[in-house]
Amino acid sequence: MSIIEFHQTSKHFGDLKVLDEVDLSIEQGEVVVLIGPSGSGKSTLLRCINGLEQITGGDLIVDGISVREGGRQLRRIRQEAGMVFQQFNLFPQMTALQNVAFGPRKVRGLGRAEAEAQALELLDKVGLKERAHHVPSALSGGQQQRVAIARALAVRPKVMLFDEPTSALDPELKQEVLTVMRQLAQEGMTMVVVTHEMGFARQVGTRLIFMEHGKISVDGNPVEVITNPPSDRLKDFLQHVE
Amino acid sequence: MEIDWSVIPGFLPQLAAGARVTILIALAGLVGGTILGLIAGLMRAYGGRVLNAIAFIYIELIRGTPIVVQVMFLYFAMPVLTGLRVDPMTAAILAIVVNAGAYIAEIVRGAFLSIPRGLTEAGLAMGLPQWKVLTHIVGPLAFRRLIPPLGNQFIVSLKDTSLFIVIGVGELTRTGQEIMASNFRAVEIWTAVAVIYLILTGTLTAILRLIENRMRIL
Ligand SMILES: Nc1ncnc2c1ncn2[C@@H]1O[C@H](COP(=O)(O)OP(=O)(O)O)[C@@H](O)[C@H]1O
Ligand SMILES: [Mg+2]
Repeated sequence: MSIIEFHQTSKHFGDLKVLDEVDLSIEQGEVVVLIGPSGSGKSTLLRCINGLEQITGGDLIVDGISVREGGRQLRRIRQEAGMVFQQFNLFPQMTALQNVAFGPRKVRGLGRAEAEAQALELLDKVGLKERAHHVPSALSGGQQQRVAIARALAVRPKVMLFDEPTSALDPELKQEVLTVMRQLAQEGMTMVVVTHEMGFARQVGTRLIFMEHGKISVDGNPVEVITNPPSDRLKDFLQHVE
Repeated sequence: MEIDWSVIPGFLPQLAAGARVTILIALAGLVGGTILGLIAGLMRAYGGRVLNAIAFIYIELIRGTPIVVQVMFLYFAMPVLTGLRVDPMTAAILAIVVNAGAYIAEIVRGAFLSIPRGLTEAGLAMGLPQWKVLTHIVGPLAFRRLIPPLGNQFIVSLKDTSLFIVIGVGELTRTGQEIMASNFRAVEIWTAVAVIYLILTGTLTAILRLIENRMRIL
């Protein structure tokens, strides 16, 4: 069974069709890199997986549960699919440690001591153990995004969804985030990543998907697709991002 | 007529009794008004179509009419409509509850909606139910933004209690007027009344400053 299955999935915003009958299956252990022009529906596709956007047609099954179920079932999906946002979205009133411990405590019901011990381990893993007691505003963008990754991992998801995780970062801060993501992929985490970092796509991606107008127009091996773009529009697109 | 400040101590017990009534109305009214405002404000911000519409109509009805008309309605018109008589004190407290509730609802709505949407999404994305997102993430952040405008509304409502003179509640302003009726020391009495109001609002301001400083403003 695939971990994520799109079946003729559509998403409309009013009259605007943003996802157009998408069929897509993602297996455990895949690192899927999603690229495409602005407005092609990449974020929407990602946000349908964890139900931040409601699909309007077809079905979408995550870890055996349909996103259409809503309520408690949707919350189960969200625990299995962690998300990292472009703008980090750390809770500003909490320290890095509290941010990371928050999910285990409030979602998984862990005690404070246990949750914070696990949080410290995760912060160590993203290289921020010594920043544990800093609030987000005292951290650099790259550090904030690494805390956000640790926060998502703390809920113990099976899949990680990344929506342009390095787009809000200065070039010199992108690498520290990409390094953490690369490490995560090496550990076998299933990942769906919207990014324009083609180096990451080539080295880490197991699959590259090019979206246009709410449809998947190219789906293949990253190295092959980047070296030999099967469509002119993808070729154009690649020239613009690299 | 000569101004003679030495008459004031003689009136103080009466004025203090009036101030106590003012404080009681304001306190009870604002506790109720804050609860009502919180509910109506959250209905506006997060309620479905129906809840939102109910809260909207309530808020617009209150904001569109003077508080004197509201208390007259509660005291004189409600008994006719419902057969339930209320005493002036109850009518006064209810008027503050209903009136402050509407303004506080707008303050609550604004504060909650001013918290970036991304934080709510981050909470939902980890599998929290919406109510936990509100109580653990958005609520605490909104609370900090709530304090200054809420304090302002408390002061407005405290002063609005003086309008309940129209239904004969023995609050501070009414007390001043009663003393006036038996001796004509306008300058002394109204100065004393004004100073007591200033002490009340000043105390309220000081308490709010304290709360504000206690919290890290983010
Ligand atoms: N909440 C929304 N309401 C209306 N239109 C939206 C909303 N979110 C996205 N859209 C529209 O959907 C299209 C796809 O958006 P998005 O998925 O964000 O694209 P991408 O991430 O590929 O840039 C765009 O035309 C965008 O304007
Ligand atoms: Mg996007």
